[in-house]
Formats: sequence, structure tokens, C-alpha cells
Amino acid sequence: MADKSLKKDQVKNLLNKIAQSNQLIAPILSDGITLFKPVQSGEGVVLDYQNAVVPPKDFFFPQSEKMFSYDMSDPSWAIKPEEGVPNRVLFGARPCDVKSILLLDKVFDAEFRDDFYIDKRNKTTIVAISCNDCRHTCFCGAFGISPGKAEGADLLLTDLGDRYLVEVLTDKGETLAANCSDLFSNDDGSGAAAKEKATAPALEKQMKIDLEGVKAKLDNMFDHPMWAAESLRCIGCGTCTFVCPTCHCFDIVDFNNQSSVGYRYRCADSCQFANFTRAAGGHQPRPSKMERTRQRFMHKLRYFVDRYGDFGCVGCGRCLEKCPVNLDIAQIINKVKEVG
Amino acid sequence: MCDCKTREVASPLLPHIATINKVIDETSNIKTFQVAFDEPGVLENFGNMPGQCCMLSILGVGESMISITSSPTRKGMLEFSIVKVGRLTDAIHELGEGDKMAIRGPYGNNFPYEMMKGKNLLIIAGGIGLAPVRSLIDYALDNRDDYGRVDIVYGARSTDLLCFKYDVFDKWPKVKDTHVHVTIDREEENWNGHVGFVPSYVEELAFSAENTIAVTCGPPIMIKFVLQALEKMGFKDEDIITTLEMNMRCGIGKCGRCNIGEKYICVDGPVFNLSQIKKLPPEF
Ligand code: SF4
Ligand code: SF4
Ligand code: FES
Repeated sequence: MADKSLKKDQVKNLLNKIAQSNQLIAPILSDGITLFKPVQSGEGVVLDYQNAVVPPKDFFFPQSEKMFSYDMSDPSWAIKPEEGVPNRVLFGARPCDVKSILLLDKVFDAEFRDDFYIDKRNKTTIVAISCNDCRHTCFCGAFGISPGKAEGADLLLTDLGDRYLVEVLTDKGETLAANCSDLFSNDDGSGAAAKEKATAPALEKQMKIDLEGVKAKLDNMFDHPMWAAESLRCIGCGTCTFVCPTCHCFDIVDFNNQSSVGYRYRCADSCQFANFTRAAGGHQPRPSKMERTRQRFMHKLRYFVDRYGDFGCVGCGRCLEKCPVNLDIAQIINKVKEVG
Repeated sequence: MCDCKTREVASPLLPHIATINKVIDETSNIKTFQVAFDEPGVLENFGNMPGQCCMLSILGVGESMISITSSPTRKGMLEFSIVKVGRLTDAIHELGEGDKMAIRGPYGNNFPYEMMKGKNLLIIAGGIGLAPVRSLIDYALDNRDDYGRVDIVYGARSTDLLCFKYDVFDKWPKVKDTHVHVTIDREEENWNGHVGFVPSYVEELAFSAENTIAVTCGPPIMIKFVLQALEKMGFKDEDIITTLEMNMRCGIGKCGRCNIGEKYICVDGPVFNLSQIKKLPPEF
């Protein structure tokens, strides 16, 4: 489908229209911070935000999610899986966060398919929005992501001042665009050039991180003393992993409130916690912060590449902003290049 | 019980319900549970292979990864030998015949029983380490003509800590060209068998590495010295097989808990040969 154009004053109508037949998930301002939330209409949706404090990952891989309920008073223990989600549109996701969903696909939609994730993924259409500006912590370019491209999105919007350029990237996107066609006009051909101009500042402003040689160095750095040195300042809070759009570790927990009826849920977990790898028999392969810090960065920059053929980071910068002791992946990349 | 359509949507993290048919006391803190699934067809289509594991749980208490100790050649049931080590296994030990468990699986890779065909097998186990390899032993003995000589070296600290005594002393030695060598760590009254640690007993028995695959399973310290002994005896890394253990939750390579380097032990393991292990970062 050819590029479309959407007048700025039509955005709310578009969101309202989408919300009529889908669950709409969009960024809103909540207590002064931008977060993705399910919304009933276009009211309050902010599209000029820089990046949400937590990624929209939650709508595919929730922080905590019921898997099934059971009733042990029933002789068959009656296991009842949770119902799937309705059709949804994730609106306004940034290119880095969209790419992170492709990385999660590699984990959850491989070998054993994780149906909880796949149900949400299949039923969600992703409308991304290019970045005209970025935060001082952004470095998506290091991973081949660009403020004006959104690999993995179904539709891509770019703010061109008085209008949005609307690029249709997939069949899912085409279906959504066709349903809302009365709100779009055809792009007059000036869109592509205008987009390049609009997204140039973000490209210019972002941190320049060069990954050249980092993976090869890490292949030989398992025993490097830098892990112990870097890990010293970590307080083990796990913030880095909770805000990261590519972190996918979880725990599985049963809850029954002392009754025969209960449920099993899974919830986000963190490799930064000592309990993560401690086994019932006492086996503990990562006893100190050194091993846990090493695991986090090795996983994203070495193991993920070996297993899935891509880095497990999208340069969103959240761990740079949120780590209370500035132990972040950009610094580690630079350090590896320096000492490795 | 289950609407098959919904199960398909939520598998493979949904358990099946099974009933315990038999409980065998192995030692004071190890029991073997023989179970069968309640839903017809589940066991028949389970497709477990020697060396694979299952997530066992009591709903409301928790889940744990346990190796299937029975061979798939033994139809109509699965067996799990469980050591009491924590909340869940304590609770499982309270269960008896007719009680239920929730089970999902089978998970992980398997002993390379196809590649082993035509070869001699040298199985070396300590304590509960016999449980995972027992699936392989029974598989080989049930397909006796496919395999060469079978040697089983099994040890524990004392006789009351030996598991599967009915196999070790009664069944296995009676099978043709199958040789069981049992040892305990210290002298004991009424014990006429060998006394000494497993690794030195292995060296003493001086097995030939020719056309032989060695499989070892047991406490880490035993494995460490058995591997040294096998290397000394001329076994190639590719012909030495063992299993690795990590804490697990999902069993399907998603929860991120059981990795060693880029490998997930729940999917790529637990079975590895020594050459593969040497390529892993030493974090286990
Ligand atoms: S590691 Fe940090 S910069 Fe990379 S994707 Fe995760 S939160 Fe963003
Ligand atoms: S690296 Fe920073 S954010 Fe992550 S656990 Fe350590 S202190 Fe917390
Ligand atoms: S147990 Fe979850 S990844 Fe292995």
C-alpha cells in the first residue's frame, strides 16, 4: 500500500476509531511519567514523548501473568488455562521497543512455542512512531536500529509538523489502515524526504556506540577481572532487568491462599537476584555479584548472539537512566573495548 | 477433564494430572514414585527418551525438574526417584498410592542411545546419580542385542544409601554380558563387596576404552575424579557422557534460569559429552 498522510487533528479520531473494535494500548502521562496503558479513547494519549519509563513489553510478556487455575477438591484437579486476549493495537511504540519485540519472538516463538506470549503477539497490531528527538541515553544506532525505521511494526507514523506520514509495513498494518481509510489521504510524494529531515536530529543527537569487535572480545573474557571490578558498585536491585525491553526471565509460582482452589502464575524475575539460580539442594553457580553482573552483560552481548544471531539489547537507554549506580551496558561496551 | 482446544493454546507449560500407583522406599530420604496419567492417551504419546526429565508438581506447593528413571521400554508408567531436599520434595514424600501429582514434559535432550548401538557401555554412578542413567541401562538391557558388553559401577557412602537394590543386586546381574560392580566408601559389617571410592574402583577395574561409551552421573566431586580416571584410561572426550544440573523453572528455554553460556540446560541438556562441556564457560 502506498504511503498515507494523516492530519494532526485527525489523530484523536483515529485512536477513537481503533478503540471501537480493539483494545487500544497507548502512551499516556501518568503522575508525570509516560507509560503504556490500555485506554478507552484517544483522550490523553501523548505521542511527542521521548521514551516510556517501562517498555510496552508488558503487553506481550506481563510482569505477572496467570497461567491457569485449578481446583484440587475436584477429583480430576480441574486445570483451567487462562483465556487469551482480545484483538489489540499497540499505538505509538518507538523503533527500539518494536525491535525488542522481534528479539522476544526469537525466545518465545522458537522450539517450544510459548502460547501465552504468542496469543498476545498474534492478536496485536503494532503502530510505531519515528523519533524526531531522543534522550541523551539513546544509542539504538549501535544495533542497526534507526529513529526513522521500525522493523517489526505494522504501521509506522512519522511526525511531519502538521501531519503524520503513515507507512504501511505489513498485511496486519494494511488491514488496520483499510479500516480507517476515511481518515487518511494519500501522501503527495513529499513524505519520504520530509521524514528524513524530521528524524535527522534524533540520529544526530544519540550516543555513538561502536560494537565492532565487542562480541569477539567477550568470547574470551569470561575470566576477565573487569567483571569483579565493575560488579562492586551494583546493589542488586534488579532495576536494570525490569526496565529492559529484551529481558525475558521469569519465575513460576503457585498461589492457593491455603485453600484447594488456586492458580499458577509467572512473573518477571531477574538474573541480578541471588535466588535466581540457587537450587533446592544448595547448588549455586552464581554465588556473588561478580557472576551475576557478568551474566547480564554476557547474555545480551555474547550468549544471545550465539543462540539467536542478534544482540539482546536495542540501545533504548533505560538501564543507563535508571541504574542507581550507573552500571550500564553502554559503559560496559566501552570498557570491553578498552580492556578486552 | 480438559477441553483439548484450550490445552493446545496453553501448552507446553500446562501439566497433566497423574496418579501414583506405587511408592518404593529406596533409602531413608529417597523414594521412587511410579505414576500413570489420568487422561487416556497422554502416556502413550508422551514420547520420552532415556535421560529426559519432567517438571513434577503438587499444585499450590511448587514444581521441580526430576529425571525420568524408568525406560520408555517399560510401558504403562513413568518412574521418578526423588530426594527430600526442600518444601516440594518434602511434600511429595508424604504422598502415597492413589495420590496425585501434576506433571509436564518430557524435557531436555537424551542419552545418545542410537549412537551407542553396537558399542560397549560403561555406566558409572554414585548415590541418586543412578536414577537418570537407570533409564538408559534398562533401555539397553531391554534391547540387549543392540549393545555390547554392559558394565555398571555403582557406589554410595554405605549400603543403606544404595538405590535400586532390586536392580543392582537382583535383576541386572542376571542379564547376559551385564556386569555390576558395587562399592561402598567404608567397611561395613556383612558387606563382602568392594570398599572404596567410585573413581578409584573404576581405575582398579581397568576398563578398555575400545568401542566403549562411558556415562557417568553422581555427586560433582565424584564426576570430577571419574572424568580424570576415564581420560587416563584412554577414553576420548566424545565418548565420555555426563549430565549437568541447574535450577529450572520453565523447562522450555524461556525463563532464562538454567543457562550455561548460550546453552539452556533444560533444552540443550542435561546430557553432554566431555568435549561439549569443555566448550562451555565454567559456570556450573
Ligand atoms: S540493556 Fe539497557 S539499553 Fe539495552 S535494551 Fe536493555 S535497558 Fe535498553
Ligand atoms: S546493575 Fe544497577 S540497576 Fe542493575 S541490579 Fe545492579 S544496581 Fe540495580
Ligand atoms: S528452565 Fe527455563 S530456561 Fe531452562
